[in-house]
Amino acid sequence: MQMLRRLQHQLPLVMLLTRQELIDRHKSSLLGRTWTLLSPLINILVFVLIFSTIMGARLEGFGAEVDQYTYSIYLISGILAWTVFAKSLSAITNIFMDRAGMITKVNVSLRALPFAPLLSEAIVYLIGMAFFAVFLLLIGFPISELWLGVPLVLALQLAFTYGLGLLLAVLAVYIKDIREAVAVLLPVWFWLTPIVYVDDIIPPWAREVIALNPLFQFVDAYRALILYQQMPNIAGLAVILGVTLTLLYVALWLLNRTERDLRDSL
Amino acid sequence: MITVEHLHKSFKLFASPRDRLKEALTGKSHHTQHMALCDVSFGVQPGEILGVLGQNGAGKSTLLKLMTGVLLPDSGRIDIQGRVTGLLELGTGFNTELSGADNITANALMLGMSRVEIEQRREEIIAFSELGDYIHEPLRTYSSGMVMRLGFAIAIHADPACLLVDEALSVGDGYFQQKCMQRIRDFKAQGGTILFVSHDLNAVKVLCDRAIVLEGGHIVANDTPATAVNHYNRIMAKQASQEAQRQGEENVAFGTQEVVVTACQVEGQESQSHMISSGEVLNIHLRLKANATLEDIALGILVRDRFGQDVFGQNTHQHQQKIAMQAGEVRDVYVSVKADIAVGKYTLSAALHPSDHHLSRCYWWHDHLATFEVAGYRESKFSGICRLSCEFSFLTRVD
Repeated sequence: MQMLRRLQHQLPLVMLLTRQELIDRHKSSLLGRTWTLLSPLINILVFVLIFSTIMGARLEGFGAEVDQYTYSIYLISGILAWTVFAKSLSAITNIFMDRAGMITKVNVSLRALPFAPLLSEAIVYLIGMAFFAVFLLLIGFPISELWLGVPLVLALQLAFTYGLGLLLAVLAVYIKDIREAVAVLLPVWFWLTPIVYVDDIIPPWAREVIALNPLFQFVDAYRALILYQQMPNIAGLAVILGVTLTLLYVALWLLNRTERDLRDSL
Repeated sequence: MITVEHLHKSFKLFASPRDRLKEALTGKSHHTQHMALCDVSFGVQPGEILGVLGQNGAGKSTLLKLMTGVLLPDSGRIDIQGRVTGLLELGTGFNTELSGADNITANALMLGMSRVEIEQRREEIIAFSELGDYIHEPLRTYSSGMVMRLGFAIAIHADPACLLVDEALSVGDGYFQQKCMQRIRDFKAQGGTILFVSHDLNAVKVLCDRAIVLEGGHIVANDTPATAVNHYNRIMAKQASQEAQRQGEENVAFGTQEVVVTACQVEGQESQSHMISSGEVLNIHLRLKANATLEDIALGILVRDRFGQDVFGQNTHQHQQKIAMQAGEVRDVYVSVKADIAVGKYTLSAALHPSDHHLSRCYWWHDHLATFEVAGYRESKFSGICRLSCEFSFLTRVD
């Protein structure tokens, strides 16, 4: 409870840092804040162009009129979710070291700091999703009320990212290798998650292993809501909720336990 | 109001960061300990300025960091009523690409001000910083003094209940420093509580109501500023003499050793220590011992400042005094110098050589024979490296 009150107290600062990461870093560039919108838009356009128009990739078994775009929808729904995860996770992992100058000078909450990259990446994701929705409307792909589930899955995903990120962030202060390890392992994790490829090609024995991958559960849930227009795998998400709560508990316990020492060593 | 009770803070030194994690988790010891603060207790009332004196490494910065909450104590209690703002974090989070105006928002938020407060005080902050139209230019075009002015302007307008003032203030030019000092006095008059950390002993005497002296993490004095400053001077003097002794062992004198200085003592006539005031007479006592019979010895002394620059040197030959000594003779020499020199640290060198010049032949030469420090002014203050005789006269002209 006290922690929540303190977080609320730090909210203006978190919003400021979020704003800095979103807008201010483009301040000196010619297009300024337009870059914040431009990068997700161009990402989406590239996927659509390459996979729908040029390569003409197709997935079978869906409505003929959208056939041409099915793989793009599959890819984009997965890749947007991955991007928000990967970017915020690596930012949070390094946050105590990157913000050491601030932490050692002003009294900021170590628990509040990770919210800045998390929020800014979430906003980039939402912008991407808005473009994505416009694209779907343009090609006449149905957008159902199942889209309402997207923010819920996103919230869970962000909580998961926060828990894992905070845990790594504390460890990274002590074990410098973690920064490198995360940078190297994130691409591996990317290919262990059916984002680019279709999960049908995975042999059945490997599927059970992949189901343990939280990112697979998230990506799968987004696809169920957006592409297949059905309820996501609730049981799978419930497990992830459990994992997330455990992660949060462990990360906060670790931070409470080491905070004094951590601040000394920054 | 500030209340600090039985504050302890130690830093652990680890062989590797991994040991650090092991210990933080298991509680098993893997470190060597450095005690930064030990049983520190004091209180500061509203409207009071407490000076904090201490050498480098005495624990001053640690104390300030604990008070702002940047570091957490091992044990003890810090009770601060109201918002605390440290001037040690001047300009934290400044983004050099953004304009001064945008940075006001960022920095003020970090100091704990709300958006509403920031907008209310924006004009005042800009006015105080005296940046004028520059406020809309990106910070990277600012000089470091301008950045400091903006930082101080924001910090002082954060309207804290307690202000922690660090050496940061010494960055600005004289005019702005005075303006800051005035602002700090106003803040005190309005009932603010201030902790003032400084090496500027004069400022502590003038500004503070009370002062504590930290030494090795302990409070060794908590008294009136004048008494605390004296206490601090004694600590410094002790260290200076140790330093001189060590350096004496390090740089051995050179020369033919036909006559040598066997003992040297430097002290102020009134202060009786290595710490003197500008304008005080410095008494130098040298003991000479001749190892050969010499007819014509000249003894010279040389005072150098901390940059190694010669400030003043003179020898007996220039005074038309001649020393003649028998082999084995020991003679005491007393030199008194009116030290009309600027505040700072100085070293004393001494040399013995045949009259006229030491270049042809040198009996004995020792750099860094002793050190002394000039702190504060006995007479009127002056700028520059030494006092020249100076008078101002006025004549009103009626045309």
